[in-house]
Amino acid sequence: MSDHPITLNKSESLLQRIRFGAPDLPVFALVAALAVLPLLVGGSWLFALGVCFANAIGVLSVSVLVRYGGEVSIGHSFFAAIGAYAVAVLDTRYGLSLLVSLPVALALGIISGILFAWPSRRLSGIYLAVSTMALALAVPEIINNMDWLTGGYEGLYVSQHVVPGVPMSLQRYYAALIVLAAVVYALARLRNSRQGLQLLLAKAHPAAADAFGTPRVWARIAVMGISGGLAALCGAMLGFAGSTVSPSGFTLWSSIFLLVGSVVSFYGLTLPRALLGGAFLTLIPQLLSASGAWIPVLYGFALLGVILIGHYLPRLQARKGKA
Amino acid sequence: MSDFLRDLFPLLWSGLITGCLYALGALGLVMIFKSSRVVNFSHGNVAGFAAFLIYGFSSGLLLELSWGAAVMLAILAVVAIAFLTYAVISPLIFESDLTATIATLGIGLIAQGATLLIFGADIVSLDLPIPRFGASVLGLFVTGYDLTVLGVAVVTIILLFFVIDHTKLGVAFRAISENPFAAEVCGLNLRRIHLFSWVVAAILGVVGALLIVPTTFLSVTTVAAFMLQAFAAAVIGGFASLPGSLLGGILIGVLMNLFSFYVSPEFSSTFLLAVILLALNMFPNGILARVGGSRV
Repeated sequence: MSDHPITLNKSESLLQRIRFGAPDLPVFALVAALAVLPLLVGGSWLFALGVCFANAIGVLSVSVLVRYGGEVSIGHSFFAAIGAYAVAVLDTRYGLSLLVSLPVALALGIISGILFAWPSRRLSGIYLAVSTMALALAVPEIINNMDWLTGGYEGLYVSQHVVPGVPMSLQRYYAALIVLAAVVYALARLRNSRQGLQLLLAKAHPAAADAFGTPRVWARIAVMGISGGLAALCGAMLGFAGSTVSPSGFTLWSSIFLLVGSVVSFYGLTLPRALLGGAFLTLIPQLLSASGAWIPVLYGFALLGVILIGHYLPRLQARKGKA
Repeated sequence: MSDFLRDLFPLLWSGLITGCLYALGALGLVMIFKSSRVVNFSHGNVAGFAAFLIYGFSSGLLLELSWGAAVMLAILAVVAIAFLTYAVISPLIFESDLTATIATLGIGLIAQGATLLIFGADIVSLDLPIPRFGASVLGLFVTGYDLTVLGVAVVTIILLFFVIDHTKLGVAFRAISENPFAAEVCGLNLRRIHLFSWVVAAILGVVGALLIVPTTFLSVTTVAAFMLQAFAAAVIGGFASLPGSLLGGILIGVLMNLFSFYVSPEFSSTFLLAVILLALNMFPNGILARVGGSRV
């Protein structure tokens, strides 16, 4: 993408600060503000924010694939569905809480990401995009036909407490916030780690990475595993924070919306960017709930608008710099 | 055994008919991809919008026109949309084809939203003005609809291949899909050829949509769903080969038919996923590509 070099450099300087010990104050302030927010707002806003955090994780999972793999996916609802149903099935059939089901969801997401990456390891660009589209299309059908496990059309209700005695609405909010913060922290660590640098090298210079012992296929499978795992976490938190899991939440459109969120946040991997994408996916449908047909129109214009801004803004700035 | 054969022939025949329609959709996708290296994800939604326009123009919802006039008007609208789409994304094409591809998703979202806003989420029916007719030929039941689809598809495809093989525009189109840089150096106008392929693809999409809708009904998602098989057909053909996508369309039509009859109608999308992944692995450059190594 066109804005990669610019924004990547920015996040590099930010991460440099983390590495040298200076904490990234604005992000900590943001987390602290979100942590005390339940004192101020309540009810439906708390619920919407929990779903917003979950969607932010989903946006991150798509952005990771773009940033580290250079690939675009419109099939992440598949991995999200795996996470969501892992939580919901363990909850309703076995009475297990999120403490058990979240690691299971993460593991299943990583495994399915790898399983999908293997047959598609040589595909890139539009070929991969089309096969992820096919992946997303198969999801609602599979869920509906496995109704002995998934509850079919009606879906499942997630109700197990994580911490007994605390109101469920607070649990749904804080669990989503904690997982989102953990994901953002893990991604910041990944950017600095040897493995993260290897992945970036494999994306920018496949031949060089090959020479340094990172085959392209390995990099692709690793990135898809990470991205699939994050998407499964998104699904798990959508299930927990949103309290219900049903096939209508995991269609091709939900995958496309995740991509829209990722584009709108300029593929950012930081907390504010992820929240921007998540809020875009959660709050706009809520504001427009009375006139649902405007949602795709608005998303479409936002997608085009952000892409065109990403295209023209650097040029305008360059022209201004010259003048 | 005779039972099996008795089932098989009608299945192959109806698979061939729907396959022709998938091929029409796939040809549009491939034309756009060949010239401008963009996968047009808005193809199905725009064609669906056009089908709704035809319904609106001929049913008295928007206008009260004859069927032919409604089709002409809808085609005009679709050509205008193709111009507009190309105008928006053409600066992106020359920078990153993946970004331009994402942008077409935005166009598709807008087209779907516009359909919902104007026509609502209701289901309507849109028939072709053809005589109802059916005859048994060699144990096959052939209807007027089948023959219409086959006739229209064959004529459209022959016309398209004639234009591409024998006209100046077609030569320019092939030159650009082979090597855009060299074509530009030779004085060809890339944007004009791109526009040609976008407009032709849009018209092919409308034709495909018109022919597929009578088999089911018209809703916001019908045509978009139909175009997804067209995507599979294009993938099987390697996404850059017009004859390949024709063959891919027919193959998908027949395979889907056989699968839903003999195995299970409920898992057809999963089957499509398997076919796409298999095809991309076994024939990464399409079923008609010559096998060969790459030059190092």
